[in-house]
Amino acid sequence: MKKVLLVTAIAALCSHSVQAEVNISGFASVMGGKLTSGTGVPEFGLGPTFLANYPTVGVYEDEWTFKPDSKFGLQMTADLTEGLTATVQLVGRGADDFEAGFEWAYVSYELNEHWTIQAGKKRLPLYYYSDFFDVSYAYLWVRPAADNYTWQIFNYTGVNAQFNYQLGDWAMSGNLYTGREDDGENKLLSEFFGSTPIREIWKDIIGGVLSFNRDWLDLRFTYMTYENQRYRDGVPVLWNGKDTRRGNFAGFSANIDYNNWLLLSEVNRLTLDGGDFDTYLISAGYRIEQWTPYISYADFDSEGEVHSTTSVGVRWDFHSSAAFKFQFDDVTDDGFNGGQVAGDSKAITLGIDLVF
Amino acid sequence: MNWLKVMTLTTAMTVTSAMAEVAVIVHPSNAATVDQAEITRLFTGRGTTFNNGSKATPLNLAESAPARGEFDSKVLSKSSSQMKAYWSKLVFTGKGTPPKELTSDAEMKAAVAADAAAIGYIDAAAVDGTVKVLAKF
Repeated sequence: MKKVLLVTAIAALCSHSVQAEVNISGFASVMGGKLTSGTGVPEFGLGPTFLANYPTVGVYEDEWTFKPDSKFGLQMTADLTEGLTATVQLVGRGADDFEAGFEWAYVSYELNEHWTIQAGKKRLPLYYYSDFFDVSYAYLWVRPAADNYTWQIFNYTGVNAQFNYQLGDWAMSGNLYTGREDDGENKLLSEFFGSTPIREIWKDIIGGVLSFNRDWLDLRFTYMTYENQRYRDGVPVLWNGKDTRRGNFAGFSANIDYNNWLLLSEVNRLTLDGGDFDTYLISAGYRIEQWTPYISYADFDSEGEVHSTTSVGVRWDFHSSAAFKFQFDDVTDDGFNGGQVAGDSKAITLGIDLVF
Repeated sequence: MNWLKVMTLTTAMTVTSAMAEVAVIVHPSNAATVDQAEITRLFTGRGTTFNNGSKATPLNLAESAPARGEFDSKVLSKSSSQMKAYWSKLVFTGKGTPPKELTSDAEMKAAVAADAAAIGYIDAAAVDGTVKVLAKF
């Protein structure tokens, strides 16, 4: 998974030389798929659509496409020794026409064996799969169910402190973070849920994650609070006469990997301006040598926006660094009063995830 | 057809390597003791010290080495693919770095014999006086 390059920068004028060990690693997914049926949302003029990825607006339609779930990531970590490292991760997604951008860029300093401080740009660790959403090889399905991973902001720039302790048989780990994100033209809000440019700001973000791990059991608690500010075509959006509103996010996840059985679950609630946005996900798989057939059900429920996805699929670890996946998704959109997203749809997706 | 070959080959490798015993080794001066849970902790990045408080540096064998698959399945109770998925999650979220990998039993022995903090493993048949065996699986 990692190739070690010894990058040697030698100052030509004198004997002074600097050496840093740079680790290069990466991941890729090449996934193709298409709709098998779909209703679209006639009142929005939206044709049959399977919205597989909300934040990047990854959509499958009647024709085969490789764009929504295909991506390439390249990570470089320079080890500056004595606990200091600098990391960048470039990600190019098919949904963005493979235009690569820095998804992560941070420096990390190991304070001691328990604590590490990081500063820079990172992924927001809201849901269980949020911070490794792009690394599909690391999880079971083609993608974590879209109904849970709907939020328009998925990065932040700030400071993160992470920790690791052993409590008897339990490994306890987690992190505390603070920062902000200012997305000049948010893709989901500007392109899918509207047609005017929307600047989306999440500021005063404060959050934490706490995980407990023991043999086959993995429990995770997550909490985050932030203040939302939005500009539509440069004009501040007002909520109850104010140009900001507070969001509080809380979630719990329990995962079991026991005797080749996998049981995965998470339940989350975002309270935004008094309204609740509830999501949950349950999934089960059974490992038979290199094959893992699975099923999953994910649900989103708020005032007016109600949708769920039932998925069945299989992961085949045919190579030590690559997995083939095939998945069928069946989306039900029960949105009302203009709360529909993309209508009902059924779609198939297949392809390969790998890491190096 | 190629897919079928890959599967057959993997099955064959699993069968032959299932005969070998894996020895977990440290530097001869290392007085620590470890059980399977502690070894798992060190090789999954959840711990960085031996039970006597001294620093531990886990060393892994590359996937091409036969003892690697044995170690992953017998000691960590995971397949090498599962371990790769596990480390992918940590590496790409800045939460961990997998143990350094060495390509052969000979290289592993030399690395462990040269580092008082190291903990590694080799095919039990390759053990000699340069390293100390803490456990066999």
